[in-house]
Amino acid sequence: MARKARHSDLQRNIIDFCRLLRDREMLVTPSEVIDAIRTADAVDITDRQEFKTALRSVLTAKPEDIALHDATFDEFWRGRLQELIQERGEDGVATQDDEAQGEDMPQPQVAEGDDSEASEDEEGMDMPLYSPVEVLATRDFSCFVPDEMQEIARAIMLVARRLATRESRRYRSTQRGHAIDLRRTMRRNIKYGGTVVELARKKRKIRKPKIVLICDVSRSMDTYSKFLLQFIYALQNTLGRVESFVFSTRLTRVTDYFKSSDIYTALDRIAREVPDWSGGTRIGESLKTFNAEWALRTVNKHTIVLIMSDGLDTGDASVLEHEMEQIQRRAARVIWLNPLLGNDDYRPLARGMSAALPHVNLFASAHNLASLQSLGKHLAL
Amino acid sequence: MLPQIAEIQRQLEGQHYVTDRAIATTIYLAMTLRKPVLIEGQAGVGKTEIAKVLAAALDTDLIRLQCYEGLDANSALYEWNYPKQMLHIRLEEAVGEKHDIRQQEAEIFSEPYLLKRPLLNAITREDKAPVLLIDEVDRADEEFEAFLLEILSDFQVTIPELGTVHAKHRPYVVLTSNRTRELSDALKRRCLYLWIDYPDFDKEVRIIETKVEGINHLLAEQVAAFMQVVRRIRLSKTPGMAESLDWAMSLMALHADHLEPESVTETLGAILKDRDDVSRLAGARTDSIVGELTSLDEDGLRTSPPQIAQRVDKELVSR
Repeated sequence: MARKARHSDLQRNIIDFCRLLRDREMLVTPSEVIDAIRTADAVDITDRQEFKTALRSVLTAKPEDIALHDATFDEFWRGRLQELIQERGEDGVATQDDEAQGEDMPQPQVAEGDDSEASEDEEGMDMPLYSPVEVLATRDFSCFVPDEMQEIARAIMLVARRLATRESRRYRSTQRGHAIDLRRTMRRNIKYGGTVVELARKKRKIRKPKIVLICDVSRSMDTYSKFLLQFIYALQNTLGRVESFVFSTRLTRVTDYFKSSDIYTALDRIAREVPDWSGGTRIGESLKTFNAEWALRTVNKHTIVLIMSDGLDTGDASVLEHEMEQIQRRAARVIWLNPLLGNDDYRPLARGMSAALPHVNLFASAHNLASLQSLGKHLAL
Repeated sequence: MLPQIAEIQRQLEGQHYVTDRAIATTIYLAMTLRKPVLIEGQAGVGKTEIAKVLAAALDTDLIRLQCYEGLDANSALYEWNYPKQMLHIRLEEAVGEKHDIRQQEAEIFSEPYLLKRPLLNAITREDKAPVLLIDEVDRADEEFEAFLLEILSDFQVTIPELGTVHAKHRPYVVLTSNRTRELSDALKRRCLYLWIDYPDFDKEVRIIETKVEGINHLLAEQVAAFMQVVRRIRLSKTPGMAESLDWAMSLMALHADHLEPESVTETLGAILKDRDDVSRLAGARTDSIVGELTSLDEDGLRTSPPQIAQRVDKELVSR
């Protein structure tokens, strides 16, 4: 009888522990709670370190969880584990000797007696509560602090990689793969008198669209261009067939700068060698240069042209309109990404923007990761 | 510590795998709870090695499924051996045997005509449970992940022509991922999770001493400390454990018994695999790191890499 009661004590504590983790935004499923209970039976709970690593491997699912789990573990089991073990001992159930109690608890990380508030502060400082990517996804780029650049760079890389490896509807023949390529099979087996001996197979092509990126790096875009350039870098390094340009008052081709294997070197070089970085904006003139010097070589009916700009043009709007028309005529699709579109109050009234809009196939926002992510479906031909 | 966990740790070390309690505990749980283990970590921290060592320690077979983009159920599970089936039919025609069609069909859709791919192979072992290593699962696509989920929960496979195959012995499953993409929650929740970081100084020294025969203690420590510095510098390709070992062996081949600027420069290619990284670190910068490290004693080697790295990183940025 007593054994059963004691048992459920431990169980209840584990359930509470899981609940606490959930309160702190860690995803813990019921089946994991069951596993955690089974784990407690399987390991030696008098050995705190062992119990902790065991629960960690059952309950966590990504590196970001680990710090949160460990801190919560120390906080939650501090007194409790001791009690549970002592009860066990008193009832004469097998336990390791007293060293279990001596060995114990390192000084708690959170000051004694306080509770939620202080510990939450601490979490806020250096413990990610949930997957940073999820949180980052919907946050406006302009709200990031430099510390988060690494994380966002990684996230941008993931997005670009997803875009780069979507399957197209077309097939290519291969050695292995799902589908049998009937036409090729017949043909290949003519040499056996029509008996099918070898099978030809096919699988879906991985579609890598050809893309031209034109990014506004004028002063008004300062908060966003850093991220957009990272996006360009990531796209270029996963897609391969990408041409990139930046402009503020003049157009500069930067494709080769991004071929450097390191984003920081690339950004450095661009910042140094693009003459009018953070200058004014002359979109129309810049696009005119593009059409005159580059469009023939880089844009054809299979190319997607992606323009990233806030559309705040100081030049002549009619020039812009004309040049946009040229681009659209030549390209498969023209996409305009405007970071300001993420702002609910924004209306594309800027002179330049309204001149360009009729010649844009897709007008989308680019103010956070989620918006870049949803770009995927438009990058298909 | 449970004696069983200590035993696992002992066995892993017996296979020359330097381990810690977190790893041993997770493996113990995987064996008791019979759940797959998902191991994540940077490239070169020994994720794949765990499966190999586990198989050796359990004295069982290792079946490996290397994932890649576009991996599909056919190449992971089973395929019918079409040419062989075709040949069989033609042979029967030639010999002139007349079988009834049903019998014929049963014949060519039987086990001898089945090509077992790793997953089917893993669940049809007769003698004992093998270790199934599903390597770099993040490289396969999401459909494959879903398919994997099905196999990992039931350990049974239905082959329409043969019926359902149940696992006689549930394999020990180890999945590894380099985190090039986030795996689905469903898959992660089904697994025990183990994150392996780059080893700390002491562990790295132990690994080097275990794996590189005849290396002296001082060189092992200096190599480890140098690697601790390099890993903290922002590079395009951060070197892993494999690189440390390669490098230690290269230095041994040059009969080095401690780090010297010349031998380090000559062998830098063993740890830096990217042209930009080499050009950033080679020369004066390497020399200064080596100079600083060789002036330190054991405690210094253990504690100072972070500061050295910080200084070098700052120099590189301001360059």
